[in-house]
Amino acid sequence: MDSLVGFVGKNYVLMAGDTNAGRSIMRLKEDFDKLVPVDSHKILAKSGEIGDGNQFCNLIIRNVSLYRINNETELSTKSVAHYTRRQLATAIRKNPYSVNLLLGGYDKKDQKGSLYYLDYLGSSKKINYGAQGYAALFVGSILDRFWKEDLDFEDGLELMKKCLREVEKRLIIGTRCFLIKMINSDGIAVVEKVMINSKKKNEIEEEN
Amino acid sequence: MFTLGSVLDNELKSTVEDFSFETNFSTNQLMLPNIEKPFEFAQSIIGLEKDLQENENQLMFHQQKKEERKERALIKGYKGTTTLAFIYEKGTVIAVDSRATSGQYIASQSVQKVVPINSYMLGTLAGGAADCQFFLAHLGRICNLYELRNNETISVAAASKLLNNILYSYRNYGLSVGSMICGYDTRGPQLYYIDSDGSRLKNSLFSVGSGSPFAYGVLDAGYRWDLSKEEALDLGRRAICAATFKDSYSGGTIKVYHIDENGWVKISDDDASELWYEYEKKEKKEKK
Repeated sequence: MDSLVGFVGKNYVLMAGDTNAGRSIMRLKEDFDKLVPVDSHKILAKSGEIGDGNQFCNLIIRNVSLYRINNETELSTKSVAHYTRRQLATAIRKNPYSVNLLLGGYDKKDQKGSLYYLDYLGSSKKINYGAQGYAALFVGSILDRFWKEDLDFEDGLELMKKCLREVEKRLIIGTRCFLIKMINSDGIAVVEKVMINSKKKNEIEEEN
Repeated sequence: MFTLGSVLDNELKSTVEDFSFETNFSTNQLMLPNIEKPFEFAQSIIGLEKDLQENENQLMFHQQKKEERKERALIKGYKGTTTLAFIYEKGTVIAVDSRATSGQYIASQSVQKVVPINSYMLGTLAGGAADCQFFLAHLGRICNLYELRNNETISVAAASKLLNNILYSYRNYGLSVGSMICGYDTRGPQLYYIDSDGSRLKNSLFSVGSGSPFAYGVLDAGYRWDLSKEEALDLGRRAICAATFKDSYSGGTIKVYHIDENGWVKISDDDASELWYEYEKKEKKEKK
């Protein structure tokens, strides 16, 4: 089961996803990237069926590129969220895509980051912090307690690791490896590829 | 505009249309039975657990028990097989068993579970034999046409993506395909896992089928990128052997293939039951 976490900080958006891809009880791939870049300043974090996720995210990414080519202007995060929601909503009663998404983006116009929660049923909501999958059960309360407006990057990263540590500790399905990405005015950057081992007190190993 | 290019293109298209199913795939139209509601028909005859639960409410089925409906299902998806493939420094190794089962009955011990796509790409078969054989053979046709039209060999990534897109368009129709596309192209040895659910994953090793957990055990324990060719072939053979020993739906003969920059080659074809005891004998000799 996929775990995705995201929140907005001071001029950045931090997103993390686990890196497992599997089929029923088996893990097929341990380094699967679920945070796909829509363009230079937006990330779509996908969870749900692998095939639907791949195809749907490809659809959104290519259409956003097409818009940029046709109109020589980049779409804002809000527009992409609305477009994505519409695609999900029109498909739900015909050929549903079983994907749940977190869309994070940084808009140069507003100099602000934003995060949207999108559901396979076609719901969409602008949020400051949130999660998809089983992680949402554990991480929701941590973010309610500790998230503040305009967190610095260091504080934000520490909060994210706190969330991921909780996911690794309490989720019975093994998810140790997470990929953390950040979006700010410079674009998308991979912050860390962490492997968490909560049995060792407060120890998080960094990969590469 | 009738330029030479467009005339040739039209020529090629007209010969392609002679194959009655070719146009449907190339223009991305689904091939469906010529009845009023093909999707409902497909759903009613496949024995998928989730769909049987949905049919619970339909008037036609409300008096029948779930077990009866399961027996009525004409098409059942089996993944009784073990196939594996992995890439390493010198190329790709593919190892498969050759048993086909139909419920508790062994239908065949000599099934070809590896289908050649072209001279440097192989596809493995798991799930529905008919589905896999047809779609892999079709993939071979598409790759051949690609190479003729573009005057360059098709990459493994592109070939796997073509198959993925076709299977994705049929994703709720009850196909059962768990195939691995393995090959060697300009990027080196490549391996993709393609599913009838529409997933496409790239990794350095995969095992598919009912015996795959057993094969994964041996494979994960012995896999390294810098294996020698003999070690790699032996690892693949031993992993399938372990799976056939534990899984009753896998067996027959163990076939091992190798792909490198010169293309694919069939390495060996051993009886699964005999191989296990040969390994035992060898180890007893080494202990002495």
